[in-house]
Amino acid sequence: MDMKQHCVKLSVQPSRGLVDEKFTVLVQNLLPGFQLTIHALHQCEDGHSWEAFAHYTADATGIVNVSQDPSLGGTYSGVEPMGLLWSLRPAPGSKTGLRLRKMNVQTPMGVTISVYQGHQTEGFLDQVLLASVVVERWYMAPGVRRVPITEGRLTATLFLPSGPGPFPGLLDLSGAGGKLLEYRAALLASHGIASLALDYLTVKITRETGKMVDNDYFETAYRVLEQHPQILGSRIAILGLSFGAGVTLRMAVYSQVIKLRCAVCISGCHVQPIDGHVEQINAKNIEKIHLDKDNQSILRDMLLPIPTDPSLKVDVGRLQCPLLLVVGEDDQNWPSYESAIDMREMMERAGNSHLLTVLSYKNAGHLIEPPFTPFTRASTFKAVTNPPFTMMALWGGELVAHSRAQEDAWRKTLVFLRENLYGDMKPGALFSNL
Amino acid sequence: MTGATEIHPNISGTPNTSGTYIGSFWCERNIPELKIERHIEDNRMIALGGKMIPCYTVQRNLASIQRGVRWTSSCRPAPLLTASPVRALIDDKISIRGHFLPPRCPVTVCAQMQSDDGDLWEAFAHFNTNLDGTVNLTRDPSVGGSYLGREPMGLLWGLQPAPGAREGLRLRKKKVETPYVMLMSLLKGHVSPSERPSTELAAVTSERWYMAPGVRRIEIRQNGVVGTLFLPPGSGPFPAMLDLWGMGGGLVEYRSALFASRGYASFSLAYIGHKDLPGPQHQINVGDPYFKSAFQLLQDHPQVYRDRVGIIGLSFGVYLTLRLANHSDIKPSCLICINGPAGSNIKLADADGRTEQMENDQQYWTYDDQGNVSFRAVSLPANLSPESKVKLEHLTCPLMYIVGEDDLSSSSIENANLIEETLSAAVKSQLFTRLSYPGAGHLIEPPYTPNSRASLWSVKPQKLVTLWGGHLALHAAAQEDSWKKILEFMETNLRH
Repeated sequence: MDMKQHCVKLSVQPSRGLVDEKFTVLVQNLLPGFQLTIHALHQCEDGHSWEAFAHYTADATGIVNVSQDPSLGGTYSGVEPMGLLWSLRPAPGSKTGLRLRKMNVQTPMGVTISVYQGHQTEGFLDQVLLASVVVERWYMAPGVRRVPITEGRLTATLFLPSGPGPFPGLLDLSGAGGKLLEYRAALLASHGIASLALDYLTVKITRETGKMVDNDYFETAYRVLEQHPQILGSRIAILGLSFGAGVTLRMAVYSQVIKLRCAVCISGCHVQPIDGHVEQINAKNIEKIHLDKDNQSILRDMLLPIPTDPSLKVDVGRLQCPLLLVVGEDDQNWPSYESAIDMREMMERAGNSHLLTVLSYKNAGHLIEPPFTPFTRASTFKAVTNPPFTMMALWGGELVAHSRAQEDAWRKTLVFLRENLYGDMKPGALFSNL
Repeated sequence: MTGATEIHPNISGTPNTSGTYIGSFWCERNIPELKIERHIEDNRMIALGGKMIPCYTVQRNLASIQRGVRWTSSCRPAPLLTASPVRALIDDKISIRGHFLPPRCPVTVCAQMQSDDGDLWEAFAHFNTNLDGTVNLTRDPSVGGSYLGREPMGLLWGLQPAPGAREGLRLRKKKVETPYVMLMSLLKGHVSPSERPSTELAAVTSERWYMAPGVRRIEIRQNGVVGTLFLPPGSGPFPAMLDLWGMGGGLVEYRSALFASRGYASFSLAYIGHKDLPGPQHQINVGDPYFKSAFQLLQDHPQVYRDRVGIIGLSFGVYLTLRLANHSDIKPSCLICINGPAGSNIKLADADGRTEQMENDQQYWTYDDQGNVSFRAVSLPANLSPESKVKLEHLTCPLMYIVGEDDLSSSSIENANLIEETLSAAVKSQLFTRLSYPGAGHLIEPPYTPNSRASLWSVKPQKLVTLWGGHLALHAAAQEDSWKKILEFMETNLRH
């Protein structure tokens, strides 16, 4: 049955949202039972196209509401309000090993959402387009200030929320890919937490001399937060992802300078040398990397089995602040789940396990990113280790479970951060838009 | 639900310590809920002046000096003010909330923004926080300030020029490709915005846009027609609107930009007071052929459905709408008329472009005690030249007429009556819909924008302030309701 274009009304609310905000996609004025495809298209900063699509059938009132109606097929199925974003994948014909991450957080991600007649699976550009809107997804809320930091020879960017403050602070540490990744810090500042994104692997001194930074570097970063006139020195947290999670644990337990209100470790591991510097970490275990049937590298065995010798692990029994661990049980890159179990045992023996919260997700992989970030099971990865090496890294995870994990983990991470950084607040005071 | 295995129950929303939040500012009233409790947490120490001391000690010390003394805390983060969505279209509702405040305390929420001309506009409202330490503008009534009572969008339509601003201002966005940037602040106590520097607790910046992402703005100077076309994203074709304003002149784009953001192609047309139009700017130098060209240009556009084009007019734009629709070869799908006349003493230029001197409408101007002028009587049906009154008997499409009952610029009620009677006599009442709003003035514009009861009309040959009418909250309600009905009317007549 044919649908006249002039009838079809497509709306996405809000049309400009933060990346962790949900949207509602509504198609109206359809004939009951009409079959359509909703398509999402995003062109990333590298120029690659990412797309997602889903098949729907209009109900008796002639409406398709993506938040309420099931997708009958496509890149996702079932009732998935945000499936058009998290199921985005490289368009057919793209090169392999791509991963979607925004480097410039001062501009939004633009996604074109379109409605096509019928249940289409390919060749969208040639199909009858019934309606189209453009949606912007922002990492930075208006009024958030982005301040590059170079003092103390740091490579960092500070994001400050609007307003007089004082704000709680957070140090954001990414993984072994290095580079200055700002997106999480920008988003946290949009939620009222002054956040410092820190590059600690690909900094000038390392690129020039090959020497890695030492612990002073992190303590300097902490001091930037602690001494800032709009940041409360007594309310600082560290959030670390992957390799950065290990750094987080070391700083939280051993640093004499760094006093944390709480810490968050995503997909991390507590197995490392204690007083060692970054460069000592695991160059020796490279032979433990093995390949799966698709030639994708599985790194998790490099750190297994978890040693029983406490001198080979961060002594989390000495931790004095609340710790949130977020782990994917299908993490193929780090043994983060095994590490979480071991950390729990260590803390129970030491008597501080009341500080520990673990969020463990079945079938989620290593890259637990902010919600609605497109899922990547494997991608090209250049580890900034000594020596550096490039591989097709298998991160693990299954599309739907991993996407749910991202959404749930982010919400709970924000609750954890707010509970600890704002402290003593009644739970009812926390936001309902989480 | 999510597949997460929570090994420790901490994140369930139950706090693991007892204690009462104490606000980081001075509450005038003695609030019984704010009792100070010992609050010992094993592993939490806070730094105060470089020394680590247990939490409870701090609170006890501070409690002893709390009453009657301003307490600026160095150990608690500020409260939070949020607005959602933080980037919104002008006709989107915004939810404004304050969090982490002491319960039952006086606070002020204020909004400030700069117009395109650089004037500062502001609004403020006084609230008392809830028992859970929040304020929510969707839920809570204002007890003082720019508006009273429960008005979720009151801070927006209640905006007024800040003290010290130029007189006779009217808020109109000239550059629709950029948003209004609104700074909203949470202030302690019941204060005015001038006290913001010393009382500000939190702030949030929000953006309000006339253009949705992907909407295209195209300047049109073609076939002598001067205007701006707004197209929705996508390839179209789209149903469309021709958008006409009043004798204030220029090129008013913001309503068209919003229509395009809602999926309609929309064309704002200039006809007086624009440098790209022929002849002196103070008079109309274009005639019927001009308006027909504009309608046909829109119809003929490859991305417009030629048989789904409507016309909307405000003020003098109503007369132009009705006149244009009356041509036998112009077939709009619907007409929307807001507060304007069915006839005019002002002659449009004739077919050869010859213009005549305007009839002297000034005889009908009336003045109030301050010397402000009302143009209302100009458009009384009895004062309109009979031959100019549009022959509505030939109308073939639905017509919606919107009346502001406090319109001081145009005789809207009388003209609505005239139109209704004419259509009734022609047995065409089924085409006519009237929306009538008590307390609303002349300038019924898109919602959540402030009304000016009067504004500067001219500086030469004399400075004149003209009266528009409209009472604040009633006018705001009229804008909100009429906009919704306008979009529904367009949907019914242009999409189905």
